[in-house]
Amino acid sequence: MTGFITIFQREIARFLKVIVQTVITPFISSFLYLLIFGVSLGEQMQAHQGVSYLSFLIPGLMMMGLINNAFQNSSSSVVSSKFSGDLEDLRVAPITDQEIIWAMSLASLVRGTIVALITYTVGALFMYYQQGEWLMIAHPLTTLFFVVMAGLIFGMIGISIAFWATTFDQLSAFSAFILLPLTYLGGVFLSIEHLHPFWQAVSKANPLLYLINGLRYGILGVSDVNVWTAAIISMIGFGVFFAVAKFSLKKGSFQRW
Amino acid sequence: MILPLEISNLRKAYKGGTVEAVKGVSFTVNPGEIFGLLGPNGAGKTTIISTITTLEKPTSGSVQVFGVDVQKDPLFTKRQIGVVHQEVITSGFFDVEEILTFHSGYYGLRNNKERIHFLLEKLSLFEHRHKKVKQLSGGMKRRLMIAKALVHNPKLLLLDEPTAGVDIRLREDLWRFVEELRNDGMSILLTTHYLEEAQELCDRVGIINLGSLVELGNTKAIIRQYTLKKIRVILTERHPLQSEYLHEVVGKEYLFIVPQNKTLGEFLNEVAIPTALIQDIHIEEGNLEEAFLKLVSKKDVQVPL
Repeated sequence: MTGFITIFQREIARFLKVIVQTVITPFISSFLYLLIFGVSLGEQMQAHQGVSYLSFLIPGLMMMGLINNAFQNSSSSVVSSKFSGDLEDLRVAPITDQEIIWAMSLASLVRGTIVALITYTVGALFMYYQQGEWLMIAHPLTTLFFVVMAGLIFGMIGISIAFWATTFDQLSAFSAFILLPLTYLGGVFLSIEHLHPFWQAVSKANPLLYLINGLRYGILGVSDVNVWTAAIISMIGFGVFFAVAKFSLKKGSFQRW
Repeated sequence: MILPLEISNLRKAYKGGTVEAVKGVSFTVNPGEIFGLLGPNGAGKTTIISTITTLEKPTSGSVQVFGVDVQKDPLFTKRQIGVVHQEVITSGFFDVEEILTFHSGYYGLRNNKERIHFLLEKLSLFEHRHKKVKQLSGGMKRRLMIAKALVHNPKLLLLDEPTAGVDIRLREDLWRFVEELRNDGMSILLTTHYLEEAQELCDRVGIINLGSLVELGNTKAIIRQYTLKKIRVILTERHPLQSEYLHEVVGKEYLFIVPQNKTLGEFLNEVAIPTALIQDIHIEEGNLEEAFLKLVSKKDVQVPL
């Protein structure tokens, strides 16, 4: 248990030491997204499912920031530890793989949640300025559920990929070729109802659609997909990636690059 | 008797069995001893250490730490072991004290400040405790690695080339420290290719080459078995001496190379040096380096690239 707490504390301390990269940068990017897409472009977009484009965008950007930062936190921690060699310390010390996975993915969740909260606050301020009302959270427990699921799942994906990775390139390849397209096509910026039926069907195969819409339901009460379907798919994702992360720690490499 | 470390017929193969790094090695580390595992680079020393710490899985054979197989109950065995890796670890985010605090946590110790400060003092790192690893000199980094290995007061210490790239004074300080740890009851496995270090420190040594043990035993006994005694006789004036042991003559200095089992009395009787002419006699015992070179060339092994 002490091993778990120590790794968790270490992971939190690590991202706080590079706070410009881990918290300030996401703050600036969500500020810009909201300003350009939400406020400027959003005024020309028609309201969808009874919500303004700006408020539609806020949960999408929150989930995007959450997913990216959760993934970044665990993967860059593991990879930089591989680079400096101290990942071997974790293998040599009496710590179980479960402790490592939980500690790292919980720390990922913490960083992701901070970024999501910042995005929410910035978005709510823009909305207040534009529409004169504060963005209230429609279903707090649903919101919490999807935040926790997304943070842990992407923390575990980050762990899995980082343990297999043998170069930094492989990590950025995952971000650029898989994570980024899936987030952009997963309904962050638009409702899939606006798509051609063929692309709607394709989008439904994108697991991120369910996390993004689950959170949108939690905050706004509107969603492109059934919230129960979204919850079940998230839980399946959680189970799958927990197993993948365990497998990666067992078979992947702790060794120095 | 429960031994701190017992390795039996350990094999480790890579690349689907085509490359065998360790070929059936067996040895033990006894309670309170310093055991030296010696060999040229690439002999398999680090692979053996890695199987003890479970970084690598043996292909066959077993590794037991205090009677427990490291593959069966790794959490128990890892708690008994402290390990100093060969390569310096340069964690970039934290300072010396933070690193040691986290490392204590990995071993289940929440409030370990007292021990950490003791080690920092002992290893002359106390005034550097708020520095990042990259701000430390090479020697300080080594000492930090040793402090890390000792935060949980292990019963078995694995030192993988602890003095590689360390200057002579610091090396001697580290030797004294290692002896101190042993005197406190710690059992120590040391790998090194500095034979002087092994001769100075180790009670017993195992000499390994290309993955096999070529000799195992008491350090002094190995030196005695594989080296010759050098006797240098200095005379007051030149004198013709006849002996099968006579190796070279430089001026009034006569160098004899004599088997270890021949006593000085026997030697003097055989060579029959006129006592009145003897100015001085120097006797040089063989060293581990000589024994090592003999063993390695005797088996006609080469160092792999």
